[in-house]
Amino acid sequence: MTDTAIWNFKQLAHHELDGFGGIGEGMSIQIAKDGRRILWLAHESAPKNFTAVDVSDPRAPKLVARADLPQSHMRSNSLETVGDIMAVAYQTTKQGLQPAGFELFDISVPENPRSITFFDCSGPNSRGVHQLWFADGEHIHMSSGSADFVPTHPKDDQFYRIIDVKNPSKPVEVGRWWLPGTKQGDNEPPPVRHPENADTGFRPHNTNVYPERPDRAYLGYIDGGLVILDISDMAHPKMVSRWDYHPPYFGFTHTVVPFFDRNLLIVSDECTRTEGADWPKLVWIVDARAETNPVPISTCPLPPLESFMRRGARYGAHNLYENLPKPNAWKSDRIVLATYFNGGLRAYDTSNPYQPAEVGYFVPEPPARAPSGAIQINDVFVDERQIVYTVDRHVGGLYTLEMEF
Amino acid sequence: MSAGSTRSKWSSETRPEALFGGRDASLFGRRQKRPRGARLPVVAVTGFLGSGKTTLIRALLDKPEGGGTAVVVNEYGEIGIDHALLRSSSDATVLLGNGCLCCNVRSDLQETLRALFADRARGAVPSFVRVIIETSGLADPGPILQTFATDRALGREFHLQALVCVVDAVAGETNFERMPEARKQVALADRIVVTKSDLADAGAAERLVKRIATLNLAPVGIAGHGEIEPSFLLDEPVAVRRNFDLGEADHTHGLESFSLIFDEPLTWPSFEQAMAVLMSLRGPDLLRVKGFVALAECRGPVVVHFVQHVAHPPVELEDWPDDDRRSRLVFVTRGLARKPVAQLFASVAAFAAGGA
Repeated sequence: MTDTAIWNFKQLAHHELDGFGGIGEGMSIQIAKDGRRILWLAHESAPKNFTAVDVSDPRAPKLVARADLPQSHMRSNSLETVGDIMAVAYQTTKQGLQPAGFELFDISVPENPRSITFFDCSGPNSRGVHQLWFADGEHIHMSSGSADFVPTHPKDDQFYRIIDVKNPSKPVEVGRWWLPGTKQGDNEPPPVRHPENADTGFRPHNTNVYPERPDRAYLGYIDGGLVILDISDMAHPKMVSRWDYHPPYFGFTHTVVPFFDRNLLIVSDECTRTEGADWPKLVWIVDARAETNPVPISTCPLPPLESFMRRGARYGAHNLYENLPKPNAWKSDRIVLATYFNGGLRAYDTSNPYQPAEVGYFVPEPPARAPSGAIQINDVFVDERQIVYTVDRHVGGLYTLEMEF
Repeated sequence: MSAGSTRSKWSSETRPEALFGGRDASLFGRRQKRPRGARLPVVAVTGFLGSGKTTLIRALLDKPEGGGTAVVVNEYGEIGIDHALLRSSSDATVLLGNGCLCCNVRSDLQETLRALFADRARGAVPSFVRVIIETSGLADPGPILQTFATDRALGREFHLQALVCVVDAVAGETNFERMPEARKQVALADRIVVTKSDLADAGAAERLVKRIATLNLAPVGIAGHGEIEPSFLLDEPVAVRRNFDLGEADHTHGLESFSLIFDEPLTWPSFEQAMAVLMSLRGPDLLRVKGFVALAECRGPVVVHFVQHVAHPPVELEDWPDDDRRSRLVFVTRGLARKPVAQLFASVAAFAAGGA
């Protein structure tokens, strides 16, 4: 028996990505013209940009391509593919650096991604793009700064932007929204800062838009909580509702995934501190029958803090599987798959949303060269074959799994 | 399901599914890939003292397939050979070789399993993937079956995957004649393992297998030197596919086992009402009822399991396991014959359809 804790998942393979196994929050499947199934992964930090893995046989993943970042003061972290086009986010370590924005690639030959265009989001107050959503081939929804945006507080440097990429060589911004008060010149007062040790910014993290409601954007707005926007007029997004539960909770609302048919929202926080300093970071189940008044009704149960807080690095919620509206992505409005850093990957059945029940977990043993000595499961993707892909933030690379629950 | 109930206890009207079910809701929660869903599988091993239960479990634990097993020894205060062989050095749960966990039950089975589940969740014991319960020799399997029936008990966390009965070829036949508990253990089992055939007279094992077939048509495996293929102990039993009626055989001493197979889908209200009548009028004699039900309301088969007056929560599967899409139920009863049960189902169905 290894130190891996696994329940109702079956591990198929583990690939450490040849020494560059630190993966961020970008995981996307492309079916190449020759039929190969390519998983594109964005790296968490420099020096690598992205890695492509052939997962046609999930028991034997093969490295296909890898790109370096042009600068060490940047990270990609997030990417998405639609057909043979891939969008990759670029965020710099500090405001004012370059390149900050996103790059579009032609990946029709996975071994040889070719740049189509770079969309510049740099500026004296901008770090560029932290995360992007690209699902319909027409619009990129992202959390980004820009040259013309001066925040009221430097930590609020990113906001929601919609970019039209119907012509991939000439992306055009078509809309933007920020929390009122976070831009200099706003009539509203700036939001009240969280305590200094928990001030992570009033800015969006994930910006999800689904075909079931093309007129809605679901934003995890970090210290601002959950935000639902009406984007029926993309040029003028309007806030439908906001659920702000901080304080008393530490901030960093990360992802919002709607279960449309069931009137539920699944909301994750991101744990950003070690040894439980920002505990509890949770996955929330929210009653969205009245979208103007989202009501939290439960959270996904977790093992006690004491069991994980001393294992090293972070323990708490982070990414969710987002039911990506693409043909090669699995859809479920019952199962929540969430990543919890050293708490691994955990699965919940939300059939009774008042009492979500844990139905599986995968906590791999710490990778051999883990800097913290701990596993840090960072993100998860599930393809339409119901193969689960999950990644380590620092060195562990890619794990492929089957769901048995 | 209470006596005379007219409400569908598990239907959506009384569950959060009514608020948050969506268009694809099942009557019975999330559709599952397998009968146990996400629950931890439990294999309960019954059999008389000296029949070879401990040897059989030990042999399984030594194989790779037996890894990650928590063993619970249900002693009921007995002192016996079993006790000496599996007993750990302290009262606490301890690791056996092969990453297995062994704990001696001194108190209540439920309490022990609940504590095991909680310890596992918080990482206090290894992340075991199944539980094997070794029952005491004289144990009536009925209460163990009931333990896993309801949410209030352990039905949410654990699923009784298989009830395995161990019978030894030397003493088995004599026990059958003298001990009603021995017959009941065999009659209720999902699988039967015959041990010690190498120690018995020539032909004894064969005679025993024939005798077992008068009580139960479940698969019978012959253990060689106390060992048997791990899958025989661990896999989910396959649903019955044919009509049978053992009630007419000799030597059953009032234990009856038969199947009911329905060619056409049933409706949940009619199935539920037929079972409610049976349970309210003859609950104590309804030793075990299990199988797949094809319901007009469901696309997958519904796994049902009743023990006397207790109903396990039904589970709808995502899909049928094979081409046979008929409802198929196996009954084990005390003195309740096939014919009146079949008539009851037919009558209720006719009423439900507006006829009769």
